This record gives sequence, C-alpha cells and structure tokens, in this order.
Amino acid sequence: MSEQTTTITFKDRARSIAKDFGLPRLIITGFLVLLLVVSPFVGADLPTQISNIINRFSWNGILVLAMVPMVHSGCGLNFGLPLGIISGLLGATLSIELGFTGTMSFFMAILLATPFALVFGSVYGWLLNKIKGGEMMIATYVGFSSVSLMCMMWLLLPYHSPNMVWGMAGKGLRTTISLEGYYTQALAKILQINIGNLSIPTGALIFFALLAFLMWAFLHTKTGTAMTAVGSNPEFARSAGINVNKIRLISVVMSTWLAAIGILVYEQGFGFIQLYMAPFYMALPAVSAILIGGASVNKASIMNVIIGTILFQGIVTMTPTVMNNMIHLDMSEVIRIIVSNGMILYALTRKTEGAK
Amino acid sequence: MDKSKKKVLIYRIIALVVLVLIATAMFIIGRGHTVYFDNKPLEYGGKTIDEVPYKIDVLVNGEKVASIKEGERGMVDTMGQNFNMQLLVTKEKDGKTSKIQVGLPLPYNMDGIILNLPAMLAGLPQDAYISEFIPTPSAAELEDEEVVTDETEGLMDFGE
Amino acid sequence: MSKNSLGDYLRRFSVPLMFLLICAVCAPISGLSPSYLANEIVTRMGRNAFLILSLLIPIMAGMGLNFSMTLGAMAGEIGLILVCDWQIVGIPGMVLAMIISIPISALLGLFCGKVLNMAKGREMITSYIISFFINGIYQLVVLYLMGPVIPIKHGTIKLPRGYGVRNTVSLLSMRQKLDNLIPLTIAGVKIPVATFIIVFLLCLVIIWFRKTKLGQDMRAVGQDMEVARDAGIDVERTRIISMVLSTVFAGIGMIIYLQNMGNIATYSSHSQIGMFCIAALLVGGASVDKASIGNVFLGIILFHTMFIVAPKAGTVITGDSMIGEYFRVFVSYAVITVALIMYETNKRKNKSKESQQLALSQEEEVNG
Repeated sequence: MSEQTTTITFKDRARSIAKDFGLPRLIITGFLVLLLVVSPFVGADLPTQISNIINRFSWNGILVLAMVPMVHSGCGLNFGLPLGIISGLLGATLSIELGFTGTMSFFMAILLATPFALVFGSVYGWLLNKIKGGEMMIATYVGFSSVSLMCMMWLLLPYHSPNMVWGMAGKGLRTTISLEGYYTQALAKILQINIGNLSIPTGALIFFALLAFLMWAFLHTKTGTAMTAVGSNPEFARSAGINVNKIRLISVVMSTWLAAIGILVYEQGFGFIQLYMAPFYMALPAVSAILIGGASVNKASIMNVIIGTILFQGIVTMTPTVMNNMIHLDMSEVIRIIVSNGMILYALTRKTEGAK
Repeated sequence: MDKSKKKVLIYRIIALVVLVLIATAMFIIGRGHTVYFDNKPLEYGGKTIDEVPYKIDVLVNGEKVASIKEGERGMVDTMGQNFNMQLLVTKEKDGKTSKIQVGLPLPYNMDGIILNLPAMLAGLPQDAYISEFIPTPSAAELEDEEVVTDETEGLMDFGE
Repeated sequence: MSKNSLGDYLRRFSVPLMFLLICAVCAPISGLSPSYLANEIVTRMGRNAFLILSLLIPIMAGMGLNFSMTLGAMAGEIGLILVCDWQIVGIPGMVLAMIISIPISALLGLFCGKVLNMAKGREMITSYIISFFINGIYQLVVLYLMGPVIPIKHGTIKLPRGYGVRNTVSLLSMRQKLDNLIPLTIAGVKIPVATFIIVFLLCLVIIWFRKTKLGQDMRAVGQDMEVARDAGIDVERTRIISMVLSTVFAGIGMIIYLQNMGNIATYSSHSQIGMFCIAALLVGGASVDKASIGNVFLGIILFHTMFIVAPKAGTVITGDSMIGEYFRVFVSYAVITVALIMYETNKRKNKSKESQQLALSQEEEVNG
C-alpha cells in the first residue's frame, strides 16, 4: 500500500519536474546530449568541441546576462539589446581612437562605454515607462532605429585612427575592425589553460562569474528584491511604497550597461569589432538563449543564463560539425533559426504567471 | 442550421473545383516552349533532304521573329500547345518569295523544340522534323554558388 | 472627443506632414526630373498596393500591424518557383502560382492565427517572431527539400549540387506581363492598367467585406474582445479568419510584386517586405488600430518618394551615397517606432481616462 503511494508521488514528482523544465527544453537538452555522444563516432574531436562550447559561452554569457534585470522588473525580454551594444561599440571605437592598445584598451573601452550606456539606458528606460504593456515590440524597434541611425553616424563621426577608417577615403569607419594589437583575447588569455586540444579561457569565465555574482548579489539587496516585487506584482509593489518607475528605470539602465560590456567581451573573444548592420539581430540569440535556459517572459535567474547559454551555444557549435561529418549536409543554420525562434515563440505563448 | 452548413459545404466544394479547373487550364494554355528553327539539311530514313532554301523568314502573330539564312538557326518563345506561324520562303537569292501558313501542336513535355524547316516543307512526317533541344549547361550554370541566407541580407534594398 | 481642433488634426497627420516636408526638401536637391519621379511612383504603386492592402484586415480585427505578412510572401515565392520549373509562363503562370500559394498561405495563416490567439495582448511581437520562425521552415523547404523531395528539374533554378534553389530565380517569362497587359501611357508615364484594376478590385472587396456580418464581427472583436464574446461572437475563430485572409492576400500581392521586379531573391525577397509595407502604411497616416484604403495610397506616394529621393539628395549633400541609403532605412524604422509609441501612450491615456470616469461616477453615486 505504502509502496504504491511512494511510486505515485515519485511519478508525480518526475512529471512535475518535466513540466517545470518544459518539453522544448527537454528536447533541446536531449538533442545536445545526442550530438555530444555521436560526435566522437563521426570523427569530430570531442575536446575541440568542448573547448569551442566553453569559448562561445565566454563570449556570449554577458549578453545573455543582460536580459535578467529587465525580466525581473517586468519589462519583458530586452529586444532592445542593440541599443546597449551600440554603447559598447562607441566605447570600443573611442578607446582605439584615443590611442589605447593592448589589454588597457579593453578596460578603457568599458570605461568609455559606461556613460553612453547610462545616458542611452536612461532615455530608453524613460520611454519604456511611458508605454507599459507594450515594451517588447517597442524595444525591438528602438533597437532597429538606433542601429540604423548609428549606421549614418559611423560614416559621419570624425574618426581618424588609420586602423579603423577606410583607407581610401580616410574617413568613415570600416564594417569590421580587427582587434589585433588591441584587446583581442584580452580576458581569455589571462590564466588560460591548455591541455591538448582543450583550451579554457579562464579570465573570460572569471569575468563572467564576477558579473553574474554581482547580479545575484544585487538581486538580494533591497533594490533587487524591490525589482522582483515590481516584476511579479506592480500594484502590490506600488502600495508597498516602492517607486515602480524608478525601479524599472534602474533595471533598463543595468540591462543596457550589461549589453555594452557584453559586446566588448564578445569582441575580445571574436577578435573583431563589427559595425553597421551587424548588431541588428543580436538580441534574438540572447533572448532565445535565456529562454532555452528555463526563463520565461517574467522570470529569470542566473542559473537560466548559464544553462541557456551552454545549451544554445552548444547546439550552434556542434550541429555544423556533426552534421557535416555525418551526412555531408550542413543544415545547422536552418536548425538554429527554427530552434531559437521556436523557443521565443513558445515563451511568448505561455500564460505568464503573476502580474499579467 | 444543418441546411446552411450543407450550403456552405457545397459552396466550398464548388470553389475548390473551380480553382482546380482554372489551375488545369493554366497548365495547358500557359505551358511555355522555346521553338528553334533550323534551315539545315536533314537525314531521315536513309535519304537526305538537301533542298535547303536560301532564306526563310518566320512570322508569329504577324511579327517577324526570325530570319534564317541557309545553315542557320532561329528561335522564338511561345506559350500554349498550338503553334501557328507564317513562313516566307525565298528559294534562291533575289528569287521569288512564297508564303506558307503552318500550324502544329507542340509536344507538352519538351521545353525546347527544334523544327527542321526544310524537312517540314518537304512533307516528311512530324517525328522526322521535330526533335528535342537539350541545352548544354553553361559554365555559369555548372559553377556551384554559395547560398546566402544571411538574416541581415536585403535590409537595405527594397524594390530597386 | 467632441471637438476636432486644429491641433488634433495636426497630431493625427503629423507623420504624413513630416514626410511631405522631407520629400519637399529632398526632391529638388536630388535633381531627379518630375517625369522620372512620376513614372517611378506609378510603378511602385502598382507593385506594392496589393501587399499593403493585405495589412488592413488584421488591423480591423484589433490584431495590430501584421508583421507575419511575410508568411504569405513566402507562399507566393514557393508558388512562383514551382511554376517557373514547370515552365508555365506569362499570365497563366502567375494565375497558377497564385492558386498554388493560396492553400500554403491559408495553412500558414491558420497556424499564425492559432499562435496569436495564445498570445493575446502581444500579437505584434509574436507575429514578428513567427515570421522569423517560418523563415526557418521556408529555408528548410527551399534549400533542402526542393530537389530530392519536391522535384525541381531545371538547372537554372536548382543548385548544381542537386538540392536547393539558387540565390536568384529569373522570372523573365512573366516579367511585367500583368503590368503591360493593357498598355497605356499618359504624358510619358507608363500606367500598369491591369495591375491597377486588380488592386481596385481588392479595394472593393475590402469595402464590401467591412459591411458583411463577418466584417462587422471583426470590428467588434477589434474594439473589445470581451464585449464581442458576450455578444456571442466566436472571437478566436474571427481572429484566425482575419489572419488567413491577410496571409492569402499577401501571397497574391507578393506574386504581383515579383512579376514587376522580374526576379526572385530566393532567400531575401520576403524578409523585409513586412517592414517596408508597414512603414508605408504608417506614413500614410494609419495607426496600429486604425487604417483606411486612403492611408495605403497616400503612404505609397509619400514613402516611396522619400525612398527614391533620399539617396540622391544624400549624395548631393554629403558626397557619400551610403548616407542617403542609411537615412531612408533609419526613417522607415523610426516611423514604425514613433507609431508604436503613439499607439501605446494613447492606449494608456484612454485607459486612465476611463478609470477616472469610473471613479468619478462611483463617487457621484455615493454622494447622490
């Protein structure tokens, strides 16, 4: 008799875990595990694959982390990530223009990007406070508008560094700028571990861990808990004496600043600055990564960020090699589009608990 | 209620049938062919047709589409299964021109069709003067191209 | 509400007025001749009107700007690719492509409507993501299934590797066949009469549709879903129908658009079509919840004049052709952004006004 009850509870628990985890997430995890298992048999080198995933994780982690504050404060998924990325790009180009080199240029870029992120973030946050309820669509278009405005600016702003401008005209920034001699691998090469084909960019991982820890700690401060309260029930938060608009503004500024830092970390791994249309769709991978990690439109944790980035980047890096080796057919791009956008769609169609 | 449902169903079936009928009609009247005209000698059934006129002008719908000297080839794009043309045949240089009206059905499954005009004028059976044109793929066609599925592609151009 | 002051009018027509200003400034600077401009605008009117008209029905049903009209565009492209391979040419080819696109569009519209019913209140962002998602499916079909599964015969369409469709498919066999069906030139301006007739017919259909029972239901749903539900309207079904209609019209519109262009950019023709059509509609003075046929035509004239004139003017002013190109892209996005912001702020304003009135009347009840 008692045995039966335990089996039922166990079954129930398993089911509730599966439900919590969500079917799409389960499929994606299964898919990645399958890829990892299959890869040695089709001739892909597992250590190389794993270091690829770790590397890509270190590039993208902070961009995904940037989603967390706005989700917490109820502003939804930050489709306006390109705005923060633009601040980062301004910091990066200014740092090079002012003549900084090596690792120094990386920290100068962060420093120079910060005021832009604060200003842009404040304006953006002020705007989002005006249009509560329609944040995500407007965020998307704020991102698009800012990217296309900056396309003109990259041409018009008086940059002169010969490493960045078009050689012929002597003005106007190039579409891609190499970071060789500047901050390429600035973080990754700190305490880098190399064992055979396995290489771990320790510095970049520590940097991510630091920011993630700070975020976690922030969410447990008074302002942080107020932010969660605003996100889960704004009416209740208001009656508890919390300034809802101010908290939301803070979350947007934080998200924008993290996006600025995120793109700089991405560039130090990638080795290039990409300007013009490149930031256009950069919000989508970050959004789908955090959703794959288990977040929803109004709930996200640091754990979601870590799991999501690993799963997303895992699939992005593994599918091309495995598929190419297996059937000589590279469908990875199509799979990426369907999986990442399917995940966003899944999250948008869930009934959101709590506030809305 | 039941009656109106039935009515709706009937309307839908009628609409579907009409669409299918239109589609079938389009398949037949819209089939495009490229017709090539050869003014060359042809060997058929052991004998050679070598009575090749000096020049043939081809008119389709009253418009001159090709003027073919001896040993040359002309072409025209057509639509539909029936092909009508007028031939202005000039046997000798500076000789008299005779006008011939020709109408013939085109085989549906051939994209490119070669008509050997001298053989046709000599009154040979259809399978003698009609043959399929099989294009040799050009170098550009054989060259593998990189498929661009970049999401940022096409952001800038719209209807240029 | 009661007074339509000059200020109200100015606010309502602020976007068209701004565009009028941009065009008025840029047109003389660009140095383009009026006859060239007139020709271009008439061509673009024929090319785009049908596509933009397809946006009207979802707006009527309160589902906002249909960013997933891209779905219909993809269906239209699939129809055209198949017809090209079957070598059906000219107008019959176009008609056949339309007939093929209709079931695909309807199916995609059904999917889209069902998903949007699960995401009420955020239809626009969801329809936007749907367009990306279905683009993935489209690529799967066109890049991998066409060849081995869906037979494609001709080497001019198929990639030499045996599967997938080339980056561009030539539509030479039906290029501008519809536009030139009834040739007419007035004062040096070539007018695509047949295309305009079809566009006119669609306008009539839309006007008629508004008056039918279904159209009335749709407007009721657009105004207030709960009220409509209480009145016995099947809200979900009505919304799905509006999406299906919009997608089917978009598919047909895309075929008309591409016959004018003369070739298909297989992987990018559709991707921006939604954005540009929406921008043009908004420039014509439409908003997220209200759009008329007049907005469509005014929008095409203003938006496309800007589109033609801006790069040239930009080149003249700055000496760099890219500036003008980026400028018009920026303006397109900015227009949509501003329209969305205005819509959301108005919505909030109305809501707070309503709640104020409610509080006021309750107070009166208590006092009285």
